[in-house]
Amino acid sequence: MADPAVMAGGFSAVVGRSGGGKATSSPAENYQLARRRTLQVVVSSLLTECGFESAEKAAVESLTEMIQSYISEVGRCAKAYCEHTARITPTLSDTVVTLIEMGFNVNTLPVYAKRSQRMVITAPPVTNAPVIPKALIAGQKRTHPSHIPSHFPEFPDPHTYIKTPTFREPVSDYQVVREKAASQRRDVERALTRFMAKTGETQSLFKDDITAFPLIAARPSSIPYLSALLPSELELQTLEETDSSEQDDQTDSENTPGNNLNDDPGADKENSMLPPGGVVPSVKASEENMIDNPYLRPVKKPKVRRKK
Amino acid sequence: MHEIKMNRKKDKGFESPRPFKLTHQVVCINNINFQRKSVIGFVELTIFPTVVNLNRIKLNSKQCRIYRVRVNDLEAPFIYNDPTLEVCHHESKQRNLNYFSSAYTAAVSAVDPDAGHGELVIKVPSELWKQGDEMNVLKVYIEFSLDQPKGGLHFVVPDVEGSMAERGAHVFSFGYQNSTRFWFPCVDSYSELCTWKLEFTVDASMVAVSCGDLVETVYTHDMRKKTFHYVLPIPTAASNISLSVGPFEILVDPYMHEVTHFCLPQLLPLLKHSMSYLHEIFEFYEEILTCRYPYSCFKTVFVDEAYVQVSSYASMSIFSTNLLHSALIIDQTPLTRQCLAQALAQQFFGCFISRMSWADEWVLKGISGYIYGLYLKKTFGVNQYRHWIKEELDKMVEYELKMGGVLLHPTFGGGKDKDNPTPHLHFSIKHPHTLSWKYYKMFQCKAHLVMRLIENRISMEFMLQVFNKLLSLASTASSQKYQSHMWSQMLVSTHSFLKSISNVSGKDIGPLIKQWVDQSAVVKFFGSFAFNRKRNVLELEIRQDYTSSGTQKYVGPIKVTVQELDGSFNHTLQIEENSLKHDIPCHSKSRRNKKKKIPLMNGEEVDMDLSAMDADSPLLWIRIDPDMSILRKVEFEQADFMWQYQLRYERDVVAQEESILALEKFPTPASRLALTDILEQDQCFYKVRQGACFCLAKIANSMMSTWTGPPAMKSLFTRMFCCKSCPNIVKTNTFISFQSYFLQKTMPVAMAQLRDIQNLCPKDVLNFILDLIKYNDNRKNKFSDNYYRAELIDALTNSLTPAISISNEVRTVDNLNGDVRLILEEITRSLNMEKLLPSYRNTITVSCLRAIRMLQKNGHIPSDPSLFKSYAEYGHFVDVRVAALEAVVDYTRVDRSSVELQWLLNMVQNDPAHYVRHKILSMLGKNPPFTKAAESPLCNEALVDQLWKLMNSGTSHDWRLRCDAVNLYYTLFGLTRPSCLPLPELGLVLNLKEKKAVLNPTIKPEQGPDTTEMTGNTMGVHIPVMGFTSSLDEGLITMETVSSVSMSSGVAPPPQGLKRKLDSVVGPLGSSPPEPGQVLQEEDSSKKFKIRFNTMEEDEIDMESPHDSQAFIHHHLNILERPSTPGKEPPAVDQAVLSLPVTPLPSSFSKESTSSSKHSGHHHHHHEHKKKKKKKHKHKHKHKHESKDKERDSHAFSNSPASGRSVRSPSMSD
Repeated sequence: MADPAVMAGGFSAVVGRSGGGKATSSPAENYQLARRRTLQVVVSSLLTECGFESAEKAAVESLTEMIQSYISEVGRCAKAYCEHTARITPTLSDTVVTLIEMGFNVNTLPVYAKRSQRMVITAPPVTNAPVIPKALIAGQKRTHPSHIPSHFPEFPDPHTYIKTPTFREPVSDYQVVREKAASQRRDVERALTRFMAKTGETQSLFKDDITAFPLIAARPSSIPYLSALLPSELELQTLEETDSSEQDDQTDSENTPGNNLNDDPGADKENSMLPPGGVVPSVKASEENMIDNPYLRPVKKPKVRRKK
Repeated sequence: MHEIKMNRKKDKGFESPRPFKLTHQVVCINNINFQRKSVIGFVELTIFPTVVNLNRIKLNSKQCRIYRVRVNDLEAPFIYNDPTLEVCHHESKQRNLNYFSSAYTAAVSAVDPDAGHGELVIKVPSELWKQGDEMNVLKVYIEFSLDQPKGGLHFVVPDVEGSMAERGAHVFSFGYQNSTRFWFPCVDSYSELCTWKLEFTVDASMVAVSCGDLVETVYTHDMRKKTFHYVLPIPTAASNISLSVGPFEILVDPYMHEVTHFCLPQLLPLLKHSMSYLHEIFEFYEEILTCRYPYSCFKTVFVDEAYVQVSSYASMSIFSTNLLHSALIIDQTPLTRQCLAQALAQQFFGCFISRMSWADEWVLKGISGYIYGLYLKKTFGVNQYRHWIKEELDKMVEYELKMGGVLLHPTFGGGKDKDNPTPHLHFSIKHPHTLSWKYYKMFQCKAHLVMRLIENRISMEFMLQVFNKLLSLASTASSQKYQSHMWSQMLVSTHSFLKSISNVSGKDIGPLIKQWVDQSAVVKFFGSFAFNRKRNVLELEIRQDYTSSGTQKYVGPIKVTVQELDGSFNHTLQIEENSLKHDIPCHSKSRRNKKKKIPLMNGEEVDMDLSAMDADSPLLWIRIDPDMSILRKVEFEQADFMWQYQLRYERDVVAQEESILALEKFPTPASRLALTDILEQDQCFYKVRQGACFCLAKIANSMMSTWTGPPAMKSLFTRMFCCKSCPNIVKTNTFISFQSYFLQKTMPVAMAQLRDIQNLCPKDVLNFILDLIKYNDNRKNKFSDNYYRAELIDALTNSLTPAISISNEVRTVDNLNGDVRLILEEITRSLNMEKLLPSYRNTITVSCLRAIRMLQKNGHIPSDPSLFKSYAEYGHFVDVRVAALEAVVDYTRVDRSSVELQWLLNMVQNDPAHYVRHKILSMLGKNPPFTKAAESPLCNEALVDQLWKLMNSGTSHDWRLRCDAVNLYYTLFGLTRPSCLPLPELGLVLNLKEKKAVLNPTIKPEQGPDTTEMTGNTMGVHIPVMGFTSSLDEGLITMETVSSVSMSSGVAPPPQGLKRKLDSVVGPLGSSPPEPGQVLQEEDSSKKFKIRFNTMEEDEIDMESPHDSQAFIHHHLNILERPSTPGKEPPAVDQAVLSLPVTPLPSSFSKESTSSSKHSGHHHHHHEHKKKKKKKHKHKHKHKHESKDKERDSHAFSNSPASGRSVRSPSMSD
């Protein structure tokens, strides 16, 4: 289903990319290069027609690029108009509308085409249109179901929509599961530590082979107790769960007055302590007032006559 | 005077050693600079003179820079002299520890507040002391500052971005015993009580926590700082005052609102959890003491780089932040609770009730330790309590037997032993600051054990009544606001304590006190028995060893428990002078009642399989002193089956542990069975089961050839902790039952000690442990498994055995043994994972470091300290650092590396963390690079100098560290002059000067190796000479071995080695002619001593004009910095002679002194004095005989403060 307009679009895109003029050899690129060369000839002949005797290569290239873009745009638009009217092949009227749309006076075209000084350009060398590499065929290509007319586009290749079941029966044997979990964890840990060791500084236990048993270098930290004492985030989650349940237990059993503070005493205090202003208790809860602790009292403003 | 005071107060109350009474003190610190680590403030002491014409006030102050002193608004001259900065001033070549110890004790005595002395002597302006007899209040106002304090206050300033508060910078006070003088001038005695007003101005983002009630917090005018005002109305000793400032998070205790907890930023969740049971401890103590907590509030502060884990001060305690833990952590929880309980016990006894003198310290430590034990019993159960008592007793007994006795209540003077009641020790126990740390720990241990003995005698009820009485007396006294003479009721003394015991109980505990408190040492029993079938009598023989060091003779009752077929019977025997044998009639005939159940001590009746026992004897087992009511070690002999019965059926954990220990010697299938049964028994105390694991491993190793079945404990572990369906895989962790958790942790560690016939860890045991690590799965566990994983690494460590290889072969990856490769892989992975997911307290890193050291030591991987050194750097978690340092210490010993030793000693001097410094020295002491008994290339003069300098002046800021250094010096060189030093050149000088041509023959060959380079051959010539002169066969033999060693090694340490041997051979020889150098040394030391302190006395004469204190302090600091060896003198004797100064002319002396007295700059004056004295002194060395008498005359009148007496020099009194 080679469609010229589509081809033109594809052509320009490819040429645009390989504009650097690399020596290429694939058939598709040969084809495109041939077209491009024809365009260059066209540009050159037009220039001659206009009275130029010579032109810089760069200028010719630019003009070629412009003409190519123009033709591509015409093709693209024409294709769009044709698809707009539910057809798949552009007609003359599509092209005309396109040209008008692009601001070209169509009426001048026949005159221009028949001008006397025009040069005849040999047809581009026949090169084989590039062969679209065959997509991997996965499964049977589906035909249209009966309710879809046959002129509608075919289904895409099956690999784009077919799902392939790859899972096997889950292993339920306890021993194997444990075995797997263990070796998986070990592999992950080993890979991770190896990676860390490879990417960072290491210490080694052997002098002859410093890559054997690499140890991630010990790095002193400025506040070493934090990482050593605080549980990791994962552990913290479980901690919070157990903590809250423990606290509930306590409130239940103790029943001391003022114990209802226990629900969240720390959070309140934590917030109240943090502002740099100092020990200003948040006036959020009325229960808070029941605690008379000197460290929770507000800081006094200095007296004017106060000494020291 | 002093000596009498130190004695037990027989009938008098407290007598202050000071001519004044302190009633109130203000401490105001108005600037704390974290950047510069400096503190500025002032103190004001309100004192009442108790004598007419109080003209001098002695206070304690160390390292403070004092700007001005005013007494009642009048400028007062003062002198600041701290003899402990540099213990032995002039540079002698003494270097023997005896000399140092006595000089150090004298220096500490000279400023001892309990004797009325102090570093700071203030002259009361004459306007004030002319006022006559009416006792006027004096207000002593002192402005001071501290710049980068080395002791007393510790600044922790993490090196990160942000403000000081964001960085978590904090500062706190610390010290060993009375050390408050390090951070403000005070009377640093536990017996001088006063009320307090404390003010601290700190950054607005910080909190200042101190003793007493926080009255108010006020902003400064610029609103950038705030001042915390504390008032402590309860009379308190300065030594119990503390401070900590930092950006603390605040937690008001949800149960007790007057209790506030403080921790460093981000740790609040841990604080909340860790403090959630503090109220229970409060309730417990208040209930048993029937007394409310004496202070109106209590504060706990958790700080980083703490000096000790727990330190208690009046109404507050400072803890190490590393005690905090989350709910996930099992192992730390009881430890933290114990620390809290200790701190709280010391609040009652130690802070609120203080002591009269150092000799009474045991009462406070004893009571607080005892009530802490009661808390243990209540919270952790009787088993844990008894286990703890046994552990403490064993620890203490072991120490006393090794080091000699621990004396709880030393009395000084008057006695025959003169000043030293403990001549076996290398330090003086006269002051807390001269004690070895280990000794002090054992002292505390013994104190609470003795309290328990008293409880045994008078019952717990009476005991608690006594405590209550002490507390109520004290609280009555404390409320007497203006009657400071009443405050001495708050001081406890041995006498008052014993008196209230006899008042309350009506019992005489004199013999008990005499035996355990007034006397050091423990009792060592050996027991054995025979059963006399005819008489049906148990013939018990109890012998004692009271001749070896640390032992004493015991006379008195002893309890013996005999378990017979018919039941358990207690017998009380009298241990008397000459009776060794005791006949105990038995109640049951053997095998009479076969079918019956056997009644136990606790009334339980059990079925026993009696087939193992001796058919002729009804005895199942025998226990001597089962209640541990004597401080003793018992070695008892009974048959293996008796130990097995005891292990299985005796319900007391102490008995079970004893039998486990004994069964190690009986590797039989029956022992194996008994131990396995105990392991399986859930009701059995978990620590006993843990002990059984290790015993079983030992037995299995002894029974190697006859052992049948899988390796010991393997099937047991499989049954208990592995999946039913797949026995090689361990269950996923659920540590809900703590008993089985502890057992699960211990079993692999014990199993790894198993060995096969090749003395290797059996392959299946190693694979088993590797599988445990592999299949460890903690996802479903509500507790952290970090301790468990760490112990699995420990198990791998335990499985290591020495590598089989040719010596000196380079350890490479290629020749790594397969098993070791697996082990190493696990260790590498675990250690690396710790970097990504650190475990609580980095337990796994700690275990990995130990494992790597073990691999190195066993020759599997190359021995290399660099890894450990990097982990030991400042900035790692302290546990990791200590583990790494331990490895470096071990490396230093094994590889005899002087580089590492230097590195360690360097760290001792420079590390910011005091605990780490202390730890290094104590680890070096425990695992010394060499000892006085052995040769080592490390032992050289430079090292002696360095260590000497360390203890002489380098550690003056930390009592504990100084004593650690003394300990190390003792371990390395012993009491006498280190053997690696050349003989003192003085010996030679003296000979030359005296023109006594008789050079001692023992010195003569000594010059040879020093002056001429000797080869192995010439040495061979010298040896016979040596042997001849010393005329001692042993000497000859040792000399020969030395020479052969040095010759075979090829390297040339011969001069050193020869010299050292010579010295050590000559030293202990009592009969051989005394060597002149040594004699001189002795006399010399005593003389120098006097001179040194006399200079101080003379200082005091010059007090008329105000001092330039700063310059004076600078002078002292210079002394501190100055190397104690001015210009290292090479060991060669002739050079040493040359280096001595020429005899100074007497005329130049007089000139100097006159010119200096005219000098206006007073500090300069001092300086001159010192210099002069020093020169004079050196000069005296030479003219020893001529000047000796003169010297005596000149110093006859001035008493040395070193003798412990306060002195008024004539010039002071007019």
